Amino acid sequence: MVTQPSEIPVPNIEELFRPTHDERARQAMVSFIRKLAIVDMRRSLKDDFENRIEPKLDREGRKPADWQAIEKAMAHEHVYRFYSTVRYNAQEMCYSSVQPAVERALPAMVELASDLADRNPAGGSLRLNPKLELPKYITALDVHLTPGSVHSEHTADDVAQGAVVSFGNKVFSGQHPYRKRAGVVGESIAYWIRKKYPSFRPRRILDLGTTSGKNLLPYCTAFPQAEIYGIDVAAPVLRYGHALAEYEGLAVHFSQQHAEHTDFPDGYFDLVVSSFFFHEVALKATRKILSECKRLLASRGLMVHMELPDEASVPPYENFFWNWDTRNNNEPWYTAFRAEDPVALCITAGFDASRSFKLLIPDIASFGEARHEQFMRGELPSPAHGVGGWFVFGAERD
Amino acid sequence: MKDTPADQVRLPRESKGKRPRFFDDPAIDQMMTFMLELTTEVAVLRERMDTVERLLDERGSVTRAAIEAYYPSALVEAERNSWREAYLKRVYRMHPPI
Repeated sequence: MVTQPSEIPVPNIEELFRPTHDERARQAMVSFIRKLAIVDMRRSLKDDFENRIEPKLDREGRKPADWQAIEKAMAHEHVYRFYSTVRYNAQEMCYSSVQPAVERALPAMVELASDLADRNPAGGSLRLNPKLELPKYITALDVHLTPGSVHSEHTADDVAQGAVVSFGNKVFSGQHPYRKRAGVVGESIAYWIRKKYPSFRPRRILDLGTTSGKNLLPYCTAFPQAEIYGIDVAAPVLRYGHALAEYEGLAVHFSQQHAEHTDFPDGYFDLVVSSFFFHEVALKATRKILSECKRLLASRGLMVHMELPDEASVPPYENFFWNWDTRNNNEPWYTAFRAEDPVALCITAGFDASRSFKLLIPDIASFGEARHEQFMRGELPSPAHGVGGWFVFGAERD
Repeated sequence: MKDTPADQVRLPRESKGKRPRFFDDPAIDQMMTFMLELTTEVAVLRERMDTVERLLDERGSVTRAAIEAYYPSALVEAERNSWREAYLKRVYRMHPPI
């Protein structure tokens, strides 16, 4: 819900982050090292596989049949080793390049976030549950190589990990061709929903694993009549996200909850969404969360989750490429989640098979509205996931 | 941990989880970290020098405070981005596969 701006301007928590000249230079360089890995070396890796490695194996009668065989064949190749080490180190440096400035800004950030949590100038709210037991699949490893991940708390009312993830991600995507705007995934899904279901007017929207709500905020403007809710198990990212939303003048209700069993009543939401979420949770949890989505959705409600394309939807080489993160980016559930058919997961959770779906939708920032019209008419395909398109799955509630 | 005053927090620099090895000799994995950090440090130094040169061109003098307060225009940032791209291309020159 969009509210009127308050009389007193709300400070932006992100403006408290003031890196030095040299820190800014470091962050800018790390964005380019990250691009070297994820664009340039990724292309060299594929070219070398297709033009040299695969034909060689083929000649020897050992053409790789699946992604595991490709991984085995690539593991000892220079091109793979250097791509991997540059990508891994760049990932670490995204976060290390912003940490000193977050440390300096922390007292002021904590003070501002606490004040906004008390005042809620935009009309949102922040409901934390200090007794919530964090799931082991969240605490066992620091996901994405972010030291402290999304959940660690270092001081009272801490927002540090929210800031590290937010600014680290700006470095991460600084030179990424399809991640130029924060929240572009939420923006793309919201845009697609409005085109696909023009008369859909959700009263309440819920984002699962919302972290600091970057991909939730676009729903506030896409569906201005709706009440907007975001949940996560990690308090620092929720505090940070709440401060950001209040600054933006967006009334968002953040609460610290477990998506497997929320405290919302049955049928409370017309739209349940998530992005980059399910591949971070244990498969057992994924099944429970999808059942919870069924419980939370009102009649004629809709759920749309942006995720990685499942194994069956893409060729073996792409599976090899995506599954790299499982072991090398501390995302242990990645491969197991991708091995499942998301439509089958929806059906198991109780959704109607004929109303469950998976598809690629265009990234609205790079695809543009005119071409999106053509996509909706079936005249243009969506670009592939991560290179101009986003993979989504979900279901309509009967 | 939560008792630490906010102005004394030192964030963890290591992430929890096993670090993968990409090379047969783990020393190369370690060397690549040194290499990438050094690549970044050279770029930082170069950018600082660029700021000094630009300040001298504009004002004829330079102070540490002026360097700190310098924010590049979109045009300068575009020039710097071209340099960053070309610099990485020069340094990370892969041998042809054999």
